[in-house]
Amino acid sequence: MSTYHGELLLITINHETVSLEKRERYSLDDVQIKMLYEALHRSPMLEESLILNTCNRFELYSKTSDPKNGGAIAFKTLASFYNVQREEIESHARIRFGREVIKHLIEVSAGLRSQITGEAEIFGQVKKAYATCQRLGYSGRLINRMVQKGFQAAKLIRHSTQIGEGQINISNVAVDLSLKIFGSLKNTSALVVGTGEIGEKTVKALKSRGASNFGVASHHSGRADEIADKWGGIPHALGELETYLNDYDIIISSSETDSPLLDARSLAKHMNARKNRPLFLIDLGLPRNMDASCQEIENVYLYNLDDLAKIATDNLSERRAAIKQSEKIAAQKSASIWQMLESRGLVNFQ
Amino acid sequence: MSLLGIEDRQWISLATVVFVVAAALRAYTALKLHRKAKRPSTLMLVSFGWILQTIGLYARGLEYGGCPLSNRFELVQFMVWSAIALYIFVGPAFRVSFLGMFTSTFASVFSILSLTVRSWDSPSRIPIFGDSPWIETHAALALFSYGVFGVLALTSVMYLLQTRSLKQKKMGGLFPYMPSIFELTQINFRLLAIGFFILSASLAIGAVYWFRETESVDLPKLGTTIVVWFAYGILILLRSRQTLSYKQYSWTCIAVFATALLSLEAVDQPKAKESPLLDSTPTARSP
Repeated sequence: MSTYHGELLLITINHETVSLEKRERYSLDDVQIKMLYEALHRSPMLEESLILNTCNRFELYSKTSDPKNGGAIAFKTLASFYNVQREEIESHARIRFGREVIKHLIEVSAGLRSQITGEAEIFGQVKKAYATCQRLGYSGRLINRMVQKGFQAAKLIRHSTQIGEGQINISNVAVDLSLKIFGSLKNTSALVVGTGEIGEKTVKALKSRGASNFGVASHHSGRADEIADKWGGIPHALGELETYLNDYDIIISSSETDSPLLDARSLAKHMNARKNRPLFLIDLGLPRNMDASCQEIENVYLYNLDDLAKIATDNLSERRAAIKQSEKIAAQKSASIWQMLESRGLVNFQ
Repeated sequence: MSLLGIEDRQWISLATVVFVVAAALRAYTALKLHRKAKRPSTLMLVSFGWILQTIGLYARGLEYGGCPLSNRFELVQFMVWSAIALYIFVGPAFRVSFLGMFTSTFASVFSILSLTVRSWDSPSRIPIFGDSPWIETHAALALFSYGVFGVLALTSVMYLLQTRSLKQKKMGGLFPYMPSIFELTQINFRLLAIGFFILSASLAIGAVYWFRETESVDLPKLGTTIVVWFAYGILILLRSRQTLSYKQYSWTCIAVFATALLSLEAVDQPKAKESPLLDSTPTARSP
């Protein structure tokens, strides 16, 4: 049976506990974080604190000298700070104690608790939060040991499991494949045909990885102009595709069309002029925009929606296996960190 | 000859073991653990093997008082040594991930082969370069270019594997750990240019001596040397003009390297007439 260890507590409000519109109100800027630290530490019961504030989560890790009432004190302070009823904030949050806090910190730092499981950005955010906490002087021996050891465990998870490997959404799978073909996206240019949602996400994903040259083709020139303005890029008339096809390395197509926009015969005419430059065709259209025969042409790589979805599904199943493995490591490591904290007299002192 | 109490062949055997371990570890990390091994760890391991091999070849060289290039075993070892040296000293600049595993596999295969076929290490051979350090340089450069072409063949294999995976949409195996096909095409061209330049320099040195004494080189050696040089020369021309597709180019690089390796057989044949002066290929002088 686990013992109650109120001396180390965590209050978390995140995408698992409450909807986006409700957790928005808990978002803080740097000045507000400093004010919250000050508010929390007006109570002598809260000895050490760490506030983690990201777009998706608000978390307060605290060491309290009053294990029985530490949680209540923290909630009361938070309710007062956010100017909401204590019951309301309690309903949006989860509270954890003792070694569960350490396990949670490890899992958050390793990306296990992120909305996109395995994303790496959170680790930097936790590090930044810890640096702020240290700079403001609200960390002490317990928080310092816990966070430093927790970081080591999170790094171990990221290095020893596949938690961050392989993309699990279609747009990012397409971007990963682009990188496998072109190496860098800086000098590649992409043409977007049609204006579907996945197409837009793929453009965003390509931009986030360095692609900057875009073209937008549509059946209607007005629509092409409109989307080119919105997404950035050069507008083209789809009917003249063959005149500008060779200007692009990646073609993302999700147009409504009765017949394929490209087939092996029409592509073959262009490949000589491309001088071995690869062409990556991402066909997101239903019915398909590219004839399957395009794949037969050398240096042409054709992926349709099913292909990308299959890769994403395969990656997801691998990631699920990695999640189990990672959780096991987090549990083992949190137990050993807890033991270390106990041996140093930093916890279990009630 | 022994050095530090260990025979030259034993040094080379130890090096081979290290190359095998490096290749196996890298492959195991990728295929079984699904992780990217850190490049420095592979580089360190391969470098350790290369140092052991260098000691072995140095011990052999002490015996001759020159480069140890007197039989097929030594020719192959020197080629492997060159390929590994290229990986260690130039490889990091290329930034081609997984090149270490391919290079150590290459080194393992050829080193094991040369150690296994005892007849390749004929003890009856005599030093082949007489007193001329230039001819020694000629042979060493030629074999170094073979090492470069060996690495080129490896990166060509990598290109073919990557394009096959992308075409067949098979994302498993080594695919996630290997570089992009664009990077591979770039590196392939650079390796071809480097190898061709070194081979040309080697042959230019050899040609000076050959013109002095044309009978010093047998026709098969001369013929195969010219064929190999021309083959790479044509390849560099076709690649520059983009006449060959990258797939054809990669297959040709592998085929020409295989031919170059077979040419070692031709150049290792006993000569009709011994010359005190030279040999004109990356060759052994026969006893």
